[in-house]
Amino acid sequence: MPESELGARGPLPIRLEVNGEERGGDVEARTTLADFLRDQLGLTGTHLGCEHGVCGACTVLLDSLPTRSCLVLAASADGCRVETVEGLARDGQLSRLQRAMWDSHSFQCGFCTPGFLIQATALLAENPTPTEAEVRHALSGNLCRCTGYESIVRGVLAACAGPERSGAESK
Amino acid sequence: MRPRVPAERYTGASVRRVEDERLLTGRGTFVADAHLPGMLHAAFHRSPLPHARIVAVNTEAARRAPGVVAVFDGAEMTQMASPVAALGAAPGSGGPVSFGILAMDKVRLVGDPVALVVAESRALAEDACELIVVEYEELAPVVTVEQALDPSLPAIFEELGGNRLFGPEVKVFGDVDGAFARADRVVRASIHQHRHQNVPMEGRAILASFDASSGQLLVRASTQGVNTTRQMLAQQLRMPLDRVRVVAEDVGGSFGLKFGASREEAACCAASRALGQPVRWVEDRWENLTVSGQAREESFEVEAAVTASGLILGLRVQMVIDSGAYPGFAPLVVDIVREMIPGPYRLGALSFSSSGVVTNKASYVAYRGPWAAETFVRERIVDLVAQELGISALEVRLRNLATRDEPPLRMVTGPSLAGITARESLLRAAEIVDLARFQERQLRLRDEGRYLGVGFATYIEPAPGPRQEGGEGNTEQVRVELDRDGLLLVHTAQMPHGQSHRTTLAQVAADEFGARLEQVRVMVGDSQQTPEGFGTGGSRFAAMAGGAALHGARRLRGKVLEAAAQILDLAPTDLDIWRGELVGPGVPGGGLPLAELISRIDLAARSGQLPPGVDVDLTATEDFDGGESGWSGGTHCCVVEVDPDTGLVRILRYLVVEDCGDLINPAVVDGQIRGGVAQGVGAVLLERSAYDPEGQYLSATLMDYLLPTALDVPHIEIEHLSPVRLDPDVNFRGVGEGGMIAAPPTICNAIADALSPFGAKVLEQHLPPARILELIGATSA
Ligand code: FES
Ligand code: FES
Repeated sequence: MPESELGARGPLPIRLEVNGEERGGDVEARTTLADFLRDQLGLTGTHLGCEHGVCGACTVLLDSLPTRSCLVLAASADGCRVETVEGLARDGQLSRLQRAMWDSHSFQCGFCTPGFLIQATALLAENPTPTEAEVRHALSGNLCRCTGYESIVRGVLAACAGPERSGAESK
Repeated sequence: MRPRVPAERYTGASVRRVEDERLLTGRGTFVADAHLPGMLHAAFHRSPLPHARIVAVNTEAARRAPGVVAVFDGAEMTQMASPVAALGAAPGSGGPVSFGILAMDKVRLVGDPVALVVAESRALAEDACELIVVEYEELAPVVTVEQALDPSLPAIFEELGGNRLFGPEVKVFGDVDGAFARADRVVRASIHQHRHQNVPMEGRAILASFDASSGQLLVRASTQGVNTTRQMLAQQLRMPLDRVRVVAEDVGGSFGLKFGASREEAACCAASRALGQPVRWVEDRWENLTVSGQAREESFEVEAAVTASGLILGLRVQMVIDSGAYPGFAPLVVDIVREMIPGPYRLGALSFSSSGVVTNKASYVAYRGPWAAETFVRERIVDLVAQELGISALEVRLRNLATRDEPPLRMVTGPSLAGITARESLLRAAEIVDLARFQERQLRLRDEGRYLGVGFATYIEPAPGPRQEGGEGNTEQVRVELDRDGLLLVHTAQMPHGQSHRTTLAQVAADEFGARLEQVRVMVGDSQQTPEGFGTGGSRFAAMAGGAALHGARRLRGKVLEAAAQILDLAPTDLDIWRGELVGPGVPGGGLPLAELISRIDLAARSGQLPPGVDVDLTATEDFDGGESGWSGGTHCCVVEVDPDTGLVRILRYLVVEDCGDLINPAVVDGQIRGGVAQGVGAVLLERSAYDPEGQYLSATLMDYLLPTALDVPHIEIEHLSPVRLDPDVNFRGVGEGGMIAAPPTICNAIADALSPFGAKVLEQHLPPARILELIGATSA
């Protein structure tokens, strides 16, 4: 999209692939990708926790890279491939990571959840057998106020551990 | 006949949460996810000044801005909603204080809402907010407690005649003068706890929808309790209670913030009523950090009368609480701090003075373990006593902790300490951390220029606490009912916002009734169905709501068995309900599914086949006060290493030995503990709600108010002690707050221990690197 058009007033038409489907819409130049996904496509699984790029709740995969959708203009995502938390389960089947996080009691209120799921999905795509330190590092840009992170880290590790079900933590 | 072995029960097992399937697939519904036809969006024009008189508000340009439907200023809002009457003004002062839902003649903090803009989109509402022009006459800001007590500075509320909100109020327990007369030594300290805040990942939010034809206000809220929210909104909007319905679905954390209704939320309801259209407001992070509320700014002057052997005979405490701009919760906090400050210790005498002030800062709100200052001050003083006497802190704790076999097992302030396991938890923590070995290592490493420290803190948490003798019934109500499909519906006023109540309450009810877990639905968050109760808070869930569900399920089970026995012509004692079926010798087919049983009971009742007196109302409502279940509590222990060059603190080990009674769901319990400890780690090492001397807020983004990340929170080891069971039935206890109550003193004590070679005295809770370096003396000019 040429610069001049981005600065223009009036709606801009965009088309992009979201969770494997062609989607489109007219956006204002200032509309963020997060607002476009949530308000125009109704994909409210992507959450806004700060809108200034710190909390990571809004993380989506943009052309496979974990990206803060609150910092990306929808217009600049024209022609891109976007994956959101709604796209992680396939045919009603939770992904291995989702199942592991369920088994591990990873989350509490669930507001940060989409960001962690997407960030961890990206990590596991790149490094299928991370160490705990690598997981903590990869997730250190995502904020969770409820859990103290341990259950989330365990969930990610359980998703790459040998047996499918690693069992819920308990002492 | 029913298997009662624990392995066959849901209670006690880390069953997976029923909440998760939705939340993990992006199908949670938070307020920001809700849409209604014709929905409008709200934004607030807010004060840039901490303290000023409003001379004029000009909203003309904003009213004409694109997409704007309405603008309301403070004067207009006063016509639409009652002012808020604040609790807690001193009886002798000019109070009580009340204030408008929007600021009227004055602004009292940065971010004070001055006008509400309602527009077709949030962006357009925000655009219009910028067109509002307010003329102010600036007043001197009142930022610190010292300034609040300075009579030359202007009163934030003129009717108070100054900025003292209440106190000093002095209460004395035991023979304080005698204790100080007998003391070998008096240890003195000024201890300060800084401002923190809740920072739920979802901020405040509301979707208000007034239906003009029915006169009904329907509110989608992010709240800890729909009943409390409904009550406050009805009162402020001057509406009959039955015209207000509050529903809540997913709530993205709260930690004490989202009780009742905030001024902004009330304003949105008033706007929806005036416009006859739905209005949604979702606060942004700036608003959340700047004005939603802050907690924990408290100062203490403490004197401890001690013997040479480390026995603490008495305390004299003066507490001042900074309640921020709009008084609310602070006066309640000081009462709990006073009562709780003896904790699990045999303190013989206490004199406690409390005062509160108002300042031009965010209003004081509840935050996880709101009274936690008592544990912080006590556990710090214990360590300071040990330091001054040159004996170990473990020794001082053991010398002073109450023991169950030694009367009076009671705090000097009144509450019984029956069933506490504080001493066991401390001994076990010292054993696990292998204190003697650690101390050898600590000395060895000091020679290499490495500074390790170990800290302990022992606490108790009223979750629910002992039964109040003669106290008026503080209960939680649960309604258990069987529906036609054979589902067991458990209605509670608890409003989970991360605590997993939809799972844990189902576990308790399923076991007691004999249902399968999948047959139980925990019903929350709709004031039209929700039983009595103020909501989730004060760690009331496990013992009180759990107990009410247990007794409700038990009673309903009795009713069902009674009716079934009549229909089948069997003795009720021969029947049982197990895994969702009626079973017992003589039951047709060996087992009757609940749904079928219910329809047979229904049919029998309607065709008059049941003798009179058989109760076929398949509902049971129970009120429960927590029974004898008593205190949660425990000991935390932390090992840190402080880098004397950078001031960085690394937590090498964090250990929790705790007792919250019988665990309903161990993974949920551990999650609550770890989440609380993480907030404590943040409080000590990172988080501070900071103001500059002019009253401007400095921590208004998450880059300034630093929350702990996965790299900051260590692995937290947890050991659960086996509890003393005092109640015949209900020995689960709350666990929501203990982590956050005990972690700050534990970490501070560990840091103080690490810094002891430098002669540093730790009297505050916020210890970021810069402060550590100051304490070491490395940066002192
Ligand atoms: S909302 Fe995008 S990083 Fe917080
Ligand atoms: S689970 Fe609540 S913010 Fe992470």
